[in-house]
Amino acid sequence: MVDFFIGLFLASLITALFTTRLYRLLVWYSFNSLTLGVLALLIGIKIDDNAMLITGIATIVIKAIAIPYFLKSFSQKFHFIRQIQPNIKIQYAIILIPAILVFTFYLAKPITHMIANNSNYVAISISSLFLSLLLMMEHKNVAPKITGFLSMENSLFLLGITATNGMPMLVELGIFFDLLMAIVVINLLFRREEMKNA
Amino acid sequence: MLELLLFPAFIIFGLSFIKSDKAKRLLAFVSFLILIPTVKLISLPKPFHLFKDYLVVDDLNAYILFVSSIVGIGVTLALMTLDKHVKVSKNAYRRFYRFFAIFWIGLIFSILSNNMGIYWIGLELATLSTVYMIKTNHSTAAYKEAWNYMIVGAIAISLILFGIILIYASAKPILGEDAMNFNLLLAHAKEIKSSFLFELGFATVSVGMFVKMGFFPMNLWLANIERASFYPVAALFSGILESAIIIGFFRFSKIAMEINYDHLFTFVFIYTILTIFIVSFLIYRAKDFMRLFSLSGIEHMALIALFWVSGGTFAALLHFGAHAFLKPALFLSTGVLESNGKYKIAGALKGYKGKKGTIFWFLVSLFLLAIISLPPSPMFFSEIYGFGAMIKVAKSGDNLLSMMAAILILLILLSVIFYKFVEVYQSMKYEGKVYEKKVYVTELFSLIIFGISLIILITSPVMNYLRGIS
Repeated sequence: MVDFFIGLFLASLITALFTTRLYRLLVWYSFNSLTLGVLALLIGIKIDDNAMLITGIATIVIKAIAIPYFLKSFSQKFHFIRQIQPNIKIQYAIILIPAILVFTFYLAKPITHMIANNSNYVAISISSLFLSLLLMMEHKNVAPKITGFLSMENSLFLLGITATNGMPMLVELGIFFDLLMAIVVINLLFRREEMKNA
Repeated sequence: MLELLLFPAFIIFGLSFIKSDKAKRLLAFVSFLILIPTVKLISLPKPFHLFKDYLVVDDLNAYILFVSSIVGIGVTLALMTLDKHVKVSKNAYRRFYRFFAIFWIGLIFSILSNNMGIYWIGLELATLSTVYMIKTNHSTAAYKEAWNYMIVGAIAISLILFGIILIYASAKPILGEDAMNFNLLLAHAKEIKSSFLFELGFATVSVGMFVKMGFFPMNLWLANIERASFYPVAALFSGILESAIIIGFFRFSKIAMEINYDHLFTFVFIYTILTIFIVSFLIYRAKDFMRLFSLSGIEHMALIALFWVSGGTFAALLHFGAHAFLKPALFLSTGVLESNGKYKIAGALKGYKGKKGTIFWFLVSLFLLAIISLPPSPMFFSEIYGFGAMIKVAKSGDNLLSMMAAILILLILLSVIFYKFVEVYQSMKYEGKVYEKKVYVTELFSLIIFGISLIILITSPVMNYLRGIS
């Protein structure tokens, strides 16, 4: 079951890389976060860790529901361009993405021997990190760049739950708090009309 | 004690919502309250557990917090006359203070943290709050750079978290959830079985920190941001935010020293020399004060990192303190120096009348000459001790000749920077036309605070305190 959701996590991120519409990108981000939350719940149940269960629920509520909702409302409020064409052409991206996946599995090989649990998941986390960076790089518009940043945060979270069986609760809650703070700052940055009125 | 530390930040946050002009003055003076708990922390017996094992005060972080609080006071004083030099709306001004309060809270957690996770949370909070400070300048360039900072800063901070997770994964088998604890990690560093995993984590953390400090290959992003934002933001970046980053580097590298010193030294040595090599030529080509000071900041942070990994703890900390006082002082002076245009270096030190004007140009001249390590600047002493530490390391590893060659290259690069600063100083003092410029009491007072702090830094009690930090 965990393997299935890890696969979904990666697949949703890859699909997001090919998306040319903003709302669809937000849907894929939401789905990506949902799989991450479910993964945290599954691993939490498996290792009987209450902290990870709380983290899983928080992930689903904050990342899969609240953040995509806020981003969509920002896009309506500040009139974002919804047609988001990636700079990298699809035919090149089709070659580049598997290359990144193979490269990261090769890169993570020495590490995976050192991690007892879920060793292949670490490689997937690192490849997700690279794919999120690619998402940030391949778009000129700010909104997909933000989604890339949030996906990067998801990849780090996946690394946290797979490589270490979850970080301490206090740290994970702090990371959630910072994420919410980032959304507040992003909202303030979008208020360009404030500049004109100043 | 934690309440006392956070109290001024909460007051500033609350006052920033009051629309009265009196609140503006009050905001600057509230920042003085920061000094009370930081002075108290220095005098307390160490280690002092501020909040369980999460926030622990030792000599190193007490010193860095004290230096940062002086910089914070200087910046808030200079902020009082920001609207006299640049166009800033009242709303933006209040918001600047609001985010300064959040920045300060993040910074306290980051500097005093004994936990990798809390360190990261504090740093992220401080980073995010500075994003809005950049945007207080309502220009298109500042808006663009605020986004740049948001994105590049996010990548850098994500790299740091990525490294922290790897370090945590490497130490969790022996320490459990306590693997986040800096002191415990240091004490059990030699027991970590997967040293490769730790080193990979450390390298990633370091690259994230180096990107945030503008090291190779991201040399210009910070300079562009500081150019686009108001000058107090640049002062906060160089004097406080970089302190929070460098203390993290100190903590992580201390643990890495226990794992494999040679790997650590080679990695940092190559990275910093490469950074100084590129930065020295960028400084040579700099055409305005902001970029000049910003790039010089990168050079000094690289030197601090190099001295630290060479075992020159005293040199690194002295250099850090001197840089933390000098650079914000220079950034704050740009508000006056650039009165007649951003790119007019010629004659920038002319046109000051009265006692205030004379003290101002005299102080700026001193700061400019001190930043290029002219004696008796604390930087002169720190560089002597730092290069001494590098030679000592080389002697113990039979690499004396190659180290001498590296120091020679470093000195050549530093002389390029020295030449540029002297040229800039001469142009400021002896070239260009005379335009009358106004200096305000509060900004002069902040420069005097920095000047006095620099003098105190080279007194024997402070030197002894720094020597005591091993």
